[in-house]
Amino acid sequence: CRYQRLSLSLSLSEKHLVLLRDGRTLIGYLRSIDQFANLVLHQTVERIHVGKKYGDIPRGIFVVRGENVVLLGEIDLEKESDTPLQQVSIEEILEEQRVEQQAKQESEKLKVQALKERGLSVPRADTLDEY
Amino acid sequence: QSLEDCPLDEDEDTFQALGEEDEDIDQFNDDTFGAGAVDDDWQEAHERLAELEDKPAAAREQDGPGGDDTDLLGDHEDTLAERLTRLVIDSELEDPAIMQAVQTRTPAQQPAGLNSSIWDGSAVLRRIRGPLLTQEMPSVSVLDYALPQRPPQAREEERDPSERALPRRSSSPVIGSPPVRAVPIGTPPKQAAVPNFNQQILCPKPVHIRATMQQRYPAPYGERMSPNQLCNVPNSSLLGHPFPHSVSPVLTHLQRAQLLGGAQLSSLSSQAGRMSPSQFARVSGLVGSPLPSVNPKLLQGRVGQMMSPASGFRAFFGAPPAPPPSQPQHPSGPGSHLQSLRPQPQMFRPDTTHLHPQHRRLLHQRQQQNRSQHRSLNGSVGDRGGHRSSHQEQMRKDPYANLMLQREKDWVSKIQMMQLQSTDPYLDDYYYQNYFQKLEKLSAAEEVQGDGPKKERTKLITPQVAKLEHTYKPVQFEGSLGKLTVSSVNNPRKMIDAVVTSRSEDDETKEKQVRDKRRQTLVTIEKTYSLLLDVEDYERRYLLSLEGERPALMGERKQKICDMYDNLRGKAPGQESRPSDDHFMQIMCIRKGKRLVARILPFLSSEQAADVLMATARNLPFLIKKDAQDEVLPCLLRPFSHVLYHLPLGTVTSLVQQLTNLPQSATAPAPTNLHLTAVLQNKFGLSLLYLVLSRGEELQSSDANTELMQDNQWTELMLMATRELLRIPQVALAKPVSTPSNLISLFSRYVDQQKLNLLETKL
Repeated sequence: CRYQRLSLSLSLSEKHLVLLRDGRTLIGYLRSIDQFANLVLHQTVERIHVGKKYGDIPRGIFVVRGENVVLLGEIDLEKESDTPLQQVSIEEILEEQRVEQQAKQESEKLKVQALKERGLSVPRADTLDEY
Repeated sequence: QSLEDCPLDEDEDTFQALGEEDEDIDQFNDDTFGAGAVDDDWQEAHERLAELEDKPAAAREQDGPGGDDTDLLGDHEDTLAERLTRLVIDSELEDPAIMQAVQTRTPAQQPAGLNSSIWDGSAVLRRIRGPLLTQEMPSVSVLDYALPQRPPQAREEERDPSERALPRRSSSPVIGSPPVRAVPIGTPPKQAAVPNFNQQILCPKPVHIRATMQQRYPAPYGERMSPNQLCNVPNSSLLGHPFPHSVSPVLTHLQRAQLLGGAQLSSLSSQAGRMSPSQFARVSGLVGSPLPSVNPKLLQGRVGQMMSPASGFRAFFGAPPAPPPSQPQHPSGPGSHLQSLRPQPQMFRPDTTHLHPQHRRLLHQRQQQNRSQHRSLNGSVGDRGGHRSSHQEQMRKDPYANLMLQREKDWVSKIQMMQLQSTDPYLDDYYYQNYFQKLEKLSAAEEVQGDGPKKERTKLITPQVAKLEHTYKPVQFEGSLGKLTVSSVNNPRKMIDAVVTSRSEDDETKEKQVRDKRRQTLVTIEKTYSLLLDVEDYERRYLLSLEGERPALMGERKQKICDMYDNLRGKAPGQESRPSDDHFMQIMCIRKGKRLVARILPFLSSEQAADVLMATARNLPFLIKKDAQDEVLPCLLRPFSHVLYHLPLGTVTSLVQQLTNLPQSATAPAPTNLHLTAVLQNKFGLSLLYLVLSRGEELQSSDANTELMQDNQWTELMLMATRELLRIPQVALAKPVSTPSNLISLFSRYVDQQKLNLLETKL
């Protein structure tokens, strides 16, 4: 079913948050949009979240192809500062992310192993993405 | 010069003269071959207009038709507001990126047209239906492909007489004649030509692209505009020295051809200079007269199917203003630079009726915030000087802020909104509708209770398009034999010749048969589910329907219920008896099937429901075994209990019989009652048993007289049941969902106190 979109977000040149299909979060000034949701983001920052911490990596100008956009929203500048999350440096957040990824992979491996022992196999999520 | 020399010389001259006049190269030049040569003398017109340039105030003559031209030329009343609203007058579907050169502005605006660019919104192609202002067309040579003209903007300063259209070049009557560049892109704009207001019918509309005359290149960065804006700066003498326009948008050949096609058709209706309806009719409050709308047919090729919904869409937003031909034409004011002058799109209120009231509130709040922000900057809104300074402020703050024109933004949101148009929002957007209905009910309920502030009760209005029956008609061309067979989305061609072959029963192996059977069951479940959803929806439909339709609806509903029941019990139409529970059991083995039964039960009649109940009880151990993984059976308890309330004792007795499998058949081993054991050991089974017993007790206690006949059976049953219950160790008993309170009194009839205590502890 469809949903009602706000034309609000077309008061452009406000900070927007974009979530991409590959899981990245981009924050930048939305400069342009078209009917496919192709986006032009200015002064973009890629924000990585790990637990309660986050880190921003400045990326410059982004042109995003519409099909990769999951969601797009305007950031309320007042609320932006009002967050329980803690900002850390890029190096730290990348390290945290690496640790998190590793832990995930370990648990995934264990799961697959356990299933294999029971004669089952779960298709990997990324292969399902095709459909 | 000798004759032989001429050609060469001509060529050389031509090349040299490329920057000035291009007509020599153009073989399709109307001026040479077509109507222009006959009717129109562009040279004269050009001369005249060139004079005009020198005499700003005086020379207002124009060649060709157009007594009204003088009015138009002299009209500089265009306020900022009007120009802004003209900005808004978008062709509905066109891609601003390929905004064309066609000007729909009045001659007054024409002079400024030299500065237009393809980003010019209003300076667009006409819609094929849209009546076009003949008057407004600037010089209408098909062959001019410089940048579109721009209307004069921001008229704080005096009008720049040099901002005038090139003389109209009469164009070739041939539709789609190859566009020829009369003025190559990149040439400095010529000085004014008087727009020709007497369009010939066959003359394709301009398609008039002009190089921007002047551009503002202010030194301070803060004042510099984005590339778009630079293209659009009007040719105003106050705005700085003229610059040759270096960036000229180029239309592709296809676009030009489309432009031609569009212009051609639209010019057919443009004689009277009527105004085209504007979908933003609401903003016409700001505009004195109806605004020209220039919706090009250009996009028809690209977005053809969007045209019709667009008109519907437009209709939703507002009826087009009736265009009185007598009214002075107002130049359509594209002009993105206006955008930059405006701190916010204040004059333009987008149509927000489609938004939920809360959303709308948010939106307006935000607009007001912005407005007040800028007010504090400017000191005065609407003041042109204020605009300029706020513009500069804004530029300083965020020079990239207006990369997208308001027009473009509206265009995109228009497309988005169009996708939301729905003929049946309940169907298409069920969750959203329900969610907001619930919210509104809540707020209504709250209001009833308390003295809360009056909240908006306006309903959310989704743009609704009337259901149009589009029967597909294959494309037809005049003069061709028969119909073209073109495969399209409406008329798909069969690409794969797939043949369905049904397997014969014999060949299948046992597993396959089992699998097929399961599949059959799944299909049955799905079909029954659709019926169920329909039946559940009847209440809503009933409310919405007219009086006359209601009996029919009720009939339909009954029929569907019957069908559902038949599906459940596996009764094929035509069959009379239902010897086996097999079909029902199959359904009940599947989780969805159980849920389905639970939902259907309220709709069934008493007998039918009892039937279902009996079938369940009869086969309960089997079901319990199958349900081990899903554990969905308890969902049936509630509907079962509802059914039980309506059952007579006789049925209840048989139910107990079924459930407990008492009295046992002779073949079953004496001490054990596997059936009962299984029932008792299962949560659902036990709970169901309790429910049934409780119902029986209820019936007995309430009306002892009438059930005398059944008494014996019941009493015997009870005795046996209690004996079994006593026998079973407590640990084996499952934990029931609920233990009805009257069980003790039930058992008290049949057992002595000691045993009663035992039972009590067990329960």
